[in-house]
Amino acid sequence: MKKKWLKRLVVVATTAIMGLSLLAGCGGNDTETPDGGAAENVETPDISEDTAETPDTPAVDGATVQFRYWADTPEFSQLMQDIITYFNETNTSGITVVGEEAPWDGGGFAENLFNSVMGGADIDVATWRLSSTPLFVNNDLLADLTPFLDTWDGVSDIDGNIWANMREAGGREDATFVMPWNLQILYVYYRPSIFEEAGIEVPTTYEEFLAAIEATTIDRDGDGTPDVYGFGLRGGPGGQEPWGSFVHGRGGSFEDMTSAESIAGMQDFIDVFQNGFAPPTAPSDGFSEIIDNFHSGLTAMTIHHTGSSGGMEEVFGDDVSAFPFPAGAGRWTSMADTSTVIFESSENKEAAFEWVSFLATGEGQRMWTEGTGNIPVSGTVQAGEFFQNNRFVQASIESQGFGGVIPILDTTPEWISTIFPNTIGQALLGQVTAEEAMETLQDALYR
Amino acid sequence: MVKKRSIYPYLLVAPAVLTILLVIFVPVLNAILMSFQSYDLRRPQEIAFIGLENYRAITENTLFWGSLWRTFAWVGFGVGFQFIFGFILALLLNHSFRGRGVVRAVSMIPWVTPGVLIGLMWRWMYDGNFGVINDLLNRLGILSTNIPFLSQVETALPSVIIAIVWQGIPFFALMILAALQGVPSDMYEAADMDGANKVQKLFFITVPSIKNTIFVTLLLRVIWVANSVDIIFTMTEGGPAWSTQTLSVFIFNQANSLNLGIASTMAIVLAILLVLVTIPYLRISFRKED
Repeated sequence: MKKKWLKRLVVVATTAIMGLSLLAGCGGNDTETPDGGAAENVETPDISEDTAETPDTPAVDGATVQFRYWADTPEFSQLMQDIITYFNETNTSGITVVGEEAPWDGGGFAENLFNSVMGGADIDVATWRLSSTPLFVNNDLLADLTPFLDTWDGVSDIDGNIWANMREAGGREDATFVMPWNLQILYVYYRPSIFEEAGIEVPTTYEEFLAAIEATTIDRDGDGTPDVYGFGLRGGPGGQEPWGSFVHGRGGSFEDMTSAESIAGMQDFIDVFQNGFAPPTAPSDGFSEIIDNFHSGLTAMTIHHTGSSGGMEEVFGDDVSAFPFPAGAGRWTSMADTSTVIFESSENKEAAFEWVSFLATGEGQRMWTEGTGNIPVSGTVQAGEFFQNNRFVQASIESQGFGGVIPILDTTPEWISTIFPNTIGQALLGQVTAEEAMETLQDALYR
Repeated sequence: MVKKRSIYPYLLVAPAVLTILLVIFVPVLNAILMSFQSYDLRRPQEIAFIGLENYRAITENTLFWGSLWRTFAWVGFGVGFQFIFGFILALLLNHSFRGRGVVRAVSMIPWVTPGVLIGLMWRWMYDGNFGVINDLLNRLGILSTNIPFLSQVETALPSVIIAIVWQGIPFFALMILAALQGVPSDMYEAADMDGANKVQKLFFITVPSIKNTIFVTLLLRVIWVANSVDIIFTMTEGGPAWSTQTLSVFIFNQANSLNLGIASTMAIVLAILLVLVTIPYLRISFRKED
């Protein structure tokens, strides 16, 4: 009898364990990488030549800096290795950077990094997205860079607005936990040939932009189904960035998403889909889908950053161009960052700062941004010939003045990954009104 | 004379017992404890014991109830169709025909394919713009415009259920086929002599003979499918508009958001539900032993 009950207990316990095992092994999944896109060939400096950009503070002799980073393509991976090699061979402080690559994994990079650092992993510096900052700051994992910045002459080479974003992410006025590195500023890609077919010019106002979306929705064969949709609307993961431009276009804001202006912007977003100006798959379309739809000629416009410009040019040559998101009652575009941080647990913070400052304004900045097509934070590098002669980079730079970030709170990652796409899905599919959707989004972000 | 009990056997099993305790029971116990705490790593300063508050919170969350009902649909339809088609496949494979070995091997492919790959494959096939399913239906004249299968609420859940059905059929087929081959042929011969037709033989000989296998297989698949995240997450991430978010996907999302208290609470609810599913199995199996 005892034996029988023991067997029963074992079966019940095993089943319970199988159920609870769900908590193990969580990870993310998304195909978009934050800087994704084709690399242009970047000129690697001749290491034998002296360059003025290499660090020269001999306070950290012989230190080793453990650096964890993600690279979106094999080309970017090689580029980072080249930059590390260049730094190791040219810095006068004898610092050795040891690079450890990890996949972006749809944001899983940050989660894995959090687990590693909490577990005591030996990491001094990591590449970063601002949205992860509150989690790490709340757990006292990041080093305050203020003492280093106070004596660093590179500070003025980076726009004050960027420094403000870095400080704001940490939630403390007196501390800067994040070092700027490069930017991805969203703008509108469009097909000049389709604009010509529709008989329109590049829109200069938000209203004209909405009209252009309608005008470039074209039913060429007259079967009642558009052959070209005006806008590659992103209702799935990552859609909060283009959506934010619509909300601000009507004068709304992220701070008060329930205002009449914000709701009007949301209604525009919904109307683009419900009026048939975006592909029917838009409620679930993410990065891959909007890019594929644009590449295939299914959409006339879409919103993304320079990371996809190489692929666009490869497919369309000159029949693709870009313009900044037009101004309406307000104006906003996403200015996503890729930055770096130094961990509080690092025993080589000075050496680590040498490395991150090299990436922010030194030769490392030039090599990385020219190689990836991302926008440099260094004014000096930005003024270089490479960035002045590229129409996509120009659209980015023109957008820099009104670029911003989604409010960075401890709720932001969940808001971006699940709340936003599902709530937008409900709104696009008519399950909730624009007002109800905005209330949900407001409550979830500021709870 | 009392025989002295040796400590030696206990020493031998101790490493295994300790390992099980450390890698299974400690994390499970930890999950149970977390379900009674406001354990949100985004707000570590606020971690505290809150009793049954997490349990109350999830019962007031409409997303939880929606996810629970979708879990029933996901498991019910998913496992149900796997069983029906798996049974049919097993009956077919139980007959000898030319190339049976090849068919058996090929039919196992869905089962050995990783869930993430299955999710990606079906997502591409379902694609509302360029997917092969829309293309085929258009060419056959069944559709005039594409259906965005994974982008609308009405079709998203059935679409992911079809994917898991496709994955699970071979497992049922394999298990049932093995059981079928253990049914004595003289029973069928006796039934033939009594004039039983094929349907009677199926329901009065085949099914009763393999019912234990069917029961165990169903039980295992219910547990696995209820816990599975990979296919749904790869295909829809629980969307659009939460329409494919099952309880396991909800738990996964909450754990990913570092809200481990709520995630643990829902995991325990799911575990209790799965324990309830095993009770009929326990009753039947122990009644048989008695």
